[in-house]
Amino acid sequence: MNSLKIENLTVEVSGKIILKDFNLEIKSGEIHAIMGPNGTGKSTLTKVIMGDTNYKIIKGKIIYNGKVINKMPVNERAKIGIFLGMQMPVAVEGVSNADFLRSALRAKEGDNFKLLSFIREVEDLTKKLHMDKNMIHRGINDGFSGGERKKNEILQMNILKPNIVLLDEIDSGLDVDSLKLVGESVMDYYNDKKPAILLVTHYQRLLDYIKPDFIHIMKDGHIVLSGDKSLALKIEKEGYDKIIGDIHE
Amino acid sequence: MNKIVINGEDIKIENSDGIEVSVGEASKFLNVQSVKIKVLKDTDIVIWASEVDIKLDFYINVISGVKANIYEYKSKGDYKFQYKYYLEENSYLNIEKVNDGNNIKEMNLINLNGENAVVNFNLKTICKDIEKYNFLVYHNAKNTVSNILNNGVNILDGKLEFNVSGFVSNGITGCDINQKARIINMTENICVIKPNLFIDEEDVTANHSAHIGTFAYDDVFYLMSRGISKREALNLLIKGFLLKGVTYYRDVLEEVINKYWR
Repeated sequence: MNSLKIENLTVEVSGKIILKDFNLEIKSGEIHAIMGPNGTGKSTLTKVIMGDTNYKIIKGKIIYNGKVINKMPVNERAKIGIFLGMQMPVAVEGVSNADFLRSALRAKEGDNFKLLSFIREVEDLTKKLHMDKNMIHRGINDGFSGGERKKNEILQMNILKPNIVLLDEIDSGLDVDSLKLVGESVMDYYNDKKPAILLVTHYQRLLDYIKPDFIHIMKDGHIVLSGDKSLALKIEKEGYDKIIGDIHE
Repeated sequence: MNKIVINGEDIKIENSDGIEVSVGEASKFLNVQSVKIKVLKDTDIVIWASEVDIKLDFYINVISGVKANIYEYKSKGDYKFQYKYYLEENSYLNIEKVNDGNNIKEMNLINLNGENAVVNFNLKTICKDIEKYNFLVYHNAKNTVSNILNNGVNILDGKLEFNVSGFVSNGITGCDINQKARIINMTENICVIKPNLFIDEEDVTANHSAHIGTFAYDDVFYLMSRGISKREALNLLIKGFLLKGVTYYRDVLEEVINKYWR
């Protein structure tokens, strides 16, 4: 059983407080969805958990399996099993997906890395995600459409097999068919490995495929309301202003 | 494939098919050697230079309608090379250079003399001492195209400089001028890029970019977020930066990269 606990986390960037006394705990086998209006700190949360040093922790703790990881470097966080599927994955010219993934797997598995099984797994995943099988030889996300980049994130997740999965707007840039593919692929991974999943989304449609146990609404840097999947449907129907307004009344 | 091997003071022409080559003295007084190449038909020319301690002038003339590729590799040695390229009508010249010398000073004079002539120049260098590259690109005829790409990684005692100037006179319409230079500076030393466009004509497309610095934080973060150490992430980025677009000397360049960043 793995767990990630966020305790009273306050974070600033460029002198502005983005997260305020944020609290959340996610455990293996749980799917949490964070929703909320733009600019409420949803993406910041995923980046801080991953260890982006652009964000300064003012107070609070990020605790992985009982250990505070506030000062752990980003690559070490990845090696203990935290994965961030990014909202806007960068394109890195010249560095092939193959070199990148091999290096990542070698960093994780050391001498246990098996090239043949890696090649087979990549072939299977590109097929499953309807990706160009030659993408592995292209630069990381180089010339990829928004949808291809998101699929590449999911491919990497499957290769690296994390136990804490953070997905930041993995649905943006995806057409209807790709959304279904990505959603089903995430659920296949979930059913197989039972990781803890924290996904950030604006839209209920992703939740047709990835079934969350908990929905949280964020505003002004912290969670203002939590509930089950019915909350997402209510948001879709009534909008954030109405629901958040009801809480404050 | 045509091959020119320069080792120390020796210049050897190992094959010449579709080109006329002559080796001589450009200046007895200044002790400058010269290699004159006339490209007569579509062909590739490989230049391999090692431990050179002579001054050398290249004269390369691509005749009308001919396509040529020049692949050049320099290692060790102190280089003072001057290149003069002359491109005639509808000719095409693609130049790929990989440099791993000690001190390098290069002057590249590119004359696009015939209409529709195209030159693509792609330099990759690992600078460890002093390297200075000057480019003068003259668009002397209409609808000519120049793409000058200079990439370098500056390490150890390196001081790297790219000076690129493109010229278009009034009345030379339809030209396309592109200059792109990037130096990854891994030292505290000063590196310089001077991109210049001297254009006296309105009907011209021109682009230039210059970048000196290290790799973008977001790129390093992305690689590290998959478990790769910072050192390995930088190695991967350097490898990608240098290998991009290199074809003929790709394996050689990989060996060079492994030598410095294993």
